[in-house]
Amino acid sequence: MKQQTKLSEEQQQQQHAVEQQTQQQSAREFANAEEMLRYDAAHTTVPPGIAQRLQKSTGQPGAPPPRSWWRNLLGR
Amino acid sequence: MEESPADLASSEFSSLYAENSRAIYYLALRFLGDPQKAEDATHDVFLKAFRKLDQFRGEASLRTWLYRIAINHCQNLRQAWHDRHMFSNADDAVWENAAAKTDSPLRVLEIKELGQRIQKTLAGLPDEYRLLLLLVADEELSYEQVGALVGQSPDAVRGKLHRARKAFAALFEKTA
Repeated sequence: MKQQTKLSEEQQQQQHAVEQQTQQQSAREFANAEEMLRYDAAHTTVPPGIAQRLQKSTGQPGAPPPRSWWRNLLGR
Repeated sequence: MEESPADLASSEFSSLYAENSRAIYYLALRFLGDPQKAEDATHDVFLKAFRKLDQFRGEASLRTWLYRIAINHCQNLRQAWHDRHMFSNADDAVWENAAAKTDSPLRVLEIKELGQRIQKTLAGLPDEYRLLLLLVADEELSYEQVGALVGQSPDAVRGKLHRARKAFAALFEKTA
């Protein structure tokens, strides 16, 4: 029984150490707003869908822009 | 094999996108505050750039030129939504009296929540401050270039940046 208690205490200590380490890893200080924004920007992923959509939109380089919506609507 | 003009234009545009898409997407994301709208805006900005690439006169850097298109696009979108939560410069006094000090570091315990807290903070700032901070955060832009983008002198940019930092810090504390 005693052995089980000791084991449990060790486990708790280990868990506490891991939690502390995780918190230390995730905690961070920034000198000012720009530094924080720079960090945030560097960790922001550009959705791959944009490049795919652009590839479709620019499929024919040099092609004239599509007809405006109101011309399409009025059939002109 | 020689590249055709169309291929050349296409490869130039690919480089342009690769080098600048993160900066433009990030500006749109944090300025508009909505990932889907930011995605649409980024697509539209690069499409405009693609169609107007031959009009680029080289007076500014390509990054600055793209930012100008992006800022106009995002501001038009916001105006179209009739956003009523914008502050004017008259509200500067509010931020001047804010408790946070500019020189105090901004402490974050949970990095995973950083994006949400930044978004909340930026949403509470006047458009002018939000844009200024986002542009100054881009290390590729000088104060002169930021000034040209926001229609201010470099000195005015420095002055407003001080107030913008203060306002950001004050609001950021409240998001904890």
